[in-house]
Amino acid sequence: MEITPRPFDRELTIQELLAGISLERLGGILRVFLGGDFRLLGADGSCLLGSAGPLAQPRHAEINHDLEVFGQLESASADESRLSAAAAMIELMLRLSARYHMAAELHIETVHADYAALQQKHAALTESEARYKALSEELEARVKEQVKIIESAQRQLYQAEKLASIGQLAAGVAHEINNPIGFIRSNLSTAQQYVTSLKRLAEPMKTGNMAQFQSAWKEADMEFLLEDFAALLSESVEGADRVTKIVSDLKGFSNVDQAEEEVVDLNDNLRFACNVLAGQVKDRVKLVLELGVLPKTLCLPGHLNQVFLNLLLNAAQAITDRGLIEVRSEVAGNEIRICIRDNGCGIPEGNLDRLFDPFFTTRQVGSGTGLGLTVCRDIVRAHGGRIEVESKVGVGTTFTVCLPIG
Amino acid sequence: MAEIDEINRKITVKLVYYGPAQSGKTTNLMRLHDLLTPGMKGEIMTLETQNDRTLFFDLLPLGFKTPSGWLVKLKLFTVPGQVAHDATRKAVLSRADGMVFVADSQRSQSINNAEAFQNLEENVQRVGLNFSHVPLVVQFNKRDLPEAQILSEDEIRQRWSQAPWPLVFSSALVGEGVRETFCKLLEQVYPVLDKSIALEETHGVDRQSFIAAVMGG
Repeated sequence: MEITPRPFDRELTIQELLAGISLERLGGILRVFLGGDFRLLGADGSCLLGSAGPLAQPRHAEINHDLEVFGQLESASADESRLSAAAAMIELMLRLSARYHMAAELHIETVHADYAALQQKHAALTESEARYKALSEELEARVKEQVKIIESAQRQLYQAEKLASIGQLAAGVAHEINNPIGFIRSNLSTAQQYVTSLKRLAEPMKTGNMAQFQSAWKEADMEFLLEDFAALLSESVEGADRVTKIVSDLKGFSNVDQAEEEVVDLNDNLRFACNVLAGQVKDRVKLVLELGVLPKTLCLPGHLNQVFLNLLLNAAQAITDRGLIEVRSEVAGNEIRICIRDNGCGIPEGNLDRLFDPFFTTRQVGSGTGLGLTVCRDIVRAHGGRIEVESKVGVGTTFTVCLPIG
Repeated sequence: MAEIDEINRKITVKLVYYGPAQSGKTTNLMRLHDLLTPGMKGEIMTLETQNDRTLFFDLLPLGFKTPSGWLVKLKLFTVPGQVAHDATRKAVLSRADGMVFVADSQRSQSINNAEAFQNLEENVQRVGLNFSHVPLVVQFNKRDLPEAQILSEDEIRQRWSQAPWPLVFSSALVGEGVRETFCKLLEQVYPVLDKSIALEETHGVDRQSFIAAVMGG
């Protein structure tokens, strides 16, 4: 309930001052004290307490309060001193009552002021709370936006890493194809010369002079030419077959992003990855393959090729000068285990835990994204498998890819 | 603003003693009660105290009758000095017709004085009075303390040289300067009263007789 405060220091009336006192009891006390009927009159002469009608020949005593005459006490029975004592007692009561009124009203006034001040503060707080809420919402939105940007950047990097391995693969494949194409080209230009030689035999043959024809045949060393022609043609066919084989292998990588599951022998994938690596490391690294018999596996071969190539390239990079990479495959229990071991520099123990973390790299800035092994782990996990690493500095590193059978 | 009651022919004037805690506001009122002999004098009403410190206010009513038969009632209030009782101070200050700022002369109290004075200025404005026009006397109390402990009169005069208000040095405890302070306040209050209710013209009270009636003697 709202209480409107009244000024605590306002002028009080006798009615207000008597309001808190039981008039019935006061009347009884005064009647006994004054020895009979009495009247308590206000400043305006109205009767506040005691006999309604006027008393016969009463004595009067003023009741003063706050420098003013507040009323009269009338009695016919009491003597002067008793009457003025009674008036003094009423004055005391009024004074106490005034004291209470002022204190109470001052209290209400201050409580009111405090309450108003609190409400103001509350309004200010509510406003500032709303401001902070808006600010925090804005911040949240901005954080979300930033997270989106970072995520998209990460996706791009991840993609770039995949493409980078494909780039390395392309380099290896180009090398592989260049070789047969080289000798096929060379064979074909030799064949062109042989055809020219054959054309030169046409004239003597048309004359019908056998001796002249034989001499030209000998001069052109046709015996050797025909033999060599056949040989270079069959060599070229073999070269073309090799290119065909490489191109067909390459299909395993070409569908990296259009993942289609195929049933394959993982040893083929390992061989192919080793071939690609061999083209790059030449004689620097010796590759030893110990491939056990594996059951056919349903997988995304393009993705697994990428894993194997990535691990092999890492192994080759770990070898600074000359070294050995062993590739072993076997069945262990209900899983296929593929070990790729190098005798390179090894990985410090402190780095082992973080090896598969995105963007963790020990290579120089710009030479690696730190996503290679992350991609490998994700691919292997997608196949329901796991990838393990063991390493000792100065001795070498072994990565083991474990894939479930069936 | 003075309260005018046409029906009961009464003018009520409110005067407030303001100042930092324990600077001697209540002592001022007690001495005035002893020293003044106006036409009418009430008792000091002390509302509530705690360890000799005023919690609500003290009130001393003084009054006299004008030749026109009106009652002029002056209610002298003190405020609680402690910082915490600001709402009470503001309520007591409401509707004041004049005020005395009781400062503590002790060197150690300079900051408290300054803060209390600033608080007075703020509260005067908060209760809707004009600080540059309201009657005000500045009293430096406790001059009876050892010289080393208190600011010298010269220092105080120098500090307050730019201020427009009358400056009084007092020792309320021994009763010195208390009447003078009150008199200086009445001198400022009279013109305002005269302007609003024509004290001299209608009621036959000029400045001198106004002061004499309130102070007595």
